[in-house]
Amino acid sequence: MNRKRFLSSFLAPLAMTPVKGLPAFTDGNGDDSLAAIRPHYLKPGDTIGITCPAGSITQQEIQPAMLQMIDWGFNIKVGDTVGKKDFTFGGTDEERASDFQQMIDDPNVKAIMCARGGYGFVRIIDKIDFTKLVAKPKWIIGFSDITVLHCHLNRNYGIATIHSKMCNSFPDDWNKAEPIQIETILSIKQALMGAEKMKYSAPVNPLNKPGKAEGSLVGGNLKTIETLAGTKSDLRTTNKILFVEDTGEYLYSIDRMFWNLKRTGKLEKLAALIVGGFKIKPDDPGDEFGRTVEEIVLEKVKDYHYPVCFDFPVGHQKNNYALKCGLRHQLAVGEDGVILKEV
Amino acid sequence: MVTTPPYLQPGDTIALVCPAGYMAIEKAQTCIDVLQQWGYKVRVGTTVGSDSKNYFSGTDEERLIDFQQILDDDEVKAVLCARGGYGLSRIIDKIDFKKFKKHPKWIIGFSDITVLHGHIYSNFDISTIHGPMAGAFNNEGYKNEFVLSLKNVLEGKRIKYECPVHEFNRKGEAIGELVGGNLSLIAHMIGTPSEMKTKNRILFLEDVGEYLYNVDRMMRQLKRSGKLEKLEGLIIGGFTDGKDTERPFGQNVYEIIHDIVKEYDYPVCFGFPISHEKENCALKVGVGYKLKVGKGKVTLEE
Repeated sequence: MNRKRFLSSFLAPLAMTPVKGLPAFTDGNGDDSLAAIRPHYLKPGDTIGITCPAGSITQQEIQPAMLQMIDWGFNIKVGDTVGKKDFTFGGTDEERASDFQQMIDDPNVKAIMCARGGYGFVRIIDKIDFTKLVAKPKWIIGFSDITVLHCHLNRNYGIATIHSKMCNSFPDDWNKAEPIQIETILSIKQALMGAEKMKYSAPVNPLNKPGKAEGSLVGGNLKTIETLAGTKSDLRTTNKILFVEDTGEYLYSIDRMFWNLKRTGKLEKLAALIVGGFKIKPDDPGDEFGRTVEEIVLEKVKDYHYPVCFDFPVGHQKNNYALKCGLRHQLAVGEDGVILKEV
Repeated sequence: MVTTPPYLQPGDTIALVCPAGYMAIEKAQTCIDVLQQWGYKVRVGTTVGSDSKNYFSGTDEERLIDFQQILDDDEVKAVLCARGGYGLSRIIDKIDFKKFKKHPKWIIGFSDITVLHGHIYSNFDISTIHGPMAGAFNNEGYKNEFVLSLKNVLEGKRIKYECPVHEFNRKGEAIGELVGGNLSLIAHMIGTPSEMKTKNRILFLEDVGEYLYNVDRMMRQLKRSGKLEKLEGLIIGGFTDGKDTERPFGQNVYEIIHDIVKEYDYPVCFGFPISHEKENCALKVGVGYKLKVGKGKVTLEE
């Protein structure tokens, strides 16, 4: 185990303010890629908590996810924020923070699924005390706005998390669901139970940069990663495999975000770059940006020699598989296919 | 201590460039005419009214070369960016400021030009002008006090700006170097070599066309990266043409910002004339200003 991580897992529970207590993490974009604390995998009978740290969701809307996870053999604990609504949020900042906190602190809860993304995690992240999570890590599941948490836990505690679909993506009727919906939802179960290592394939994109790489997998929503720059949740990417996805952004904005990654030093020392789905907001007439996402990305990484792949099945789309952030993976970008697998 | 470039004399040359988005020459014509009426020679860069067919005023190379030539031209005493848009982040690291550092000149603009303000102030400690660009001169805009404030600033006149009070204002007085610009760009530059320094300074912010949740997210990035904690004062300009999501955010921009800075005790004012609308006064980034947020009015003076 990496020394920093080793110390942090001991020191953090003792420190009054866990983050400030870790001077090793205050420097720039250094290499912390060796470490990863993997929470225990779940077994039937374990409890999964559902909470809304960002946007609101109704009791009704979480039913398909609940029933499915019960069907998998888990118990479900529904947090107070499910069904709460404070405008766009699943409750006030205080309510969301306190619901998330009690999910972390409840020893019976073995994993926490964020009900949906939206916006709001960054408003409460500094209010959450991760002492008990550091002492006894548990899986936290989600994507999009939940990228705040993936980055925060990776940066400060090296705890692995699951980047995947959330309650709002479970099909209402399992029997009528498309195969891709079923497969991606089942990938959450596979990631949580750990019986087999994760393995993914992606189609060949002629613009991929071939090669092989191994490293800790990190990433998430690009806009969220950008807006964490300079904060204590800022993601470090050295020697890691970075994946990014986004939705509803203009091409110029995607370009600007990749410049941000580059200019904050996040692209230079990667092991590899995985580009997931980018749902683009069409250019306004007369303001055509004139570049594709692939061109935008390749321009930023042209001086680097690591593998790059596009169209990876992660993003705001049906083919969005569960990925274990913080754990080591191997990526092979070849001429006949792309394979990512957990080591 | 910040270096202020020499103020302009009649007969000096101002150059127009488009380092970011495209602008047709007709839209810059009034500006060119008025600058001449003000007594300046005008040099028009190749990126103004270029034959570009896309978003940008030219390729990165074309925009870089035009900007670089004008920056290094001894005859040019001020560089007025004709418009913003998007594009400086793509070329900023390629611009060579060697000659500019030895012989500073005024760089003028706002919005995407915030990248230059942040980069030049933080790296070279040279003052730039956040203010109206070519479009502001159109439709008789050159007659308004905001465009005229640019004339006065270029001539080296000290201006005292005033604006009405807002219910969210926090009263007080502050003295400090003035920094700021477009919130999206200031957030975007955090962690990069162009990051705006804000500690012990008066910060001003404006933005256009942003979703409320995104303003909240960016303000929280500023807060969490330590940009708001040790300010001397905060000036909030216009956040025009704002958008909201299908599920309403529940707060307007001023409520969002008011909430985020309520734990600090420096003076804060809202509705200051800095914006993407007509109300946009010329301010010298990096220069020391005094901000007074009073009961009856708000003043900002050098």
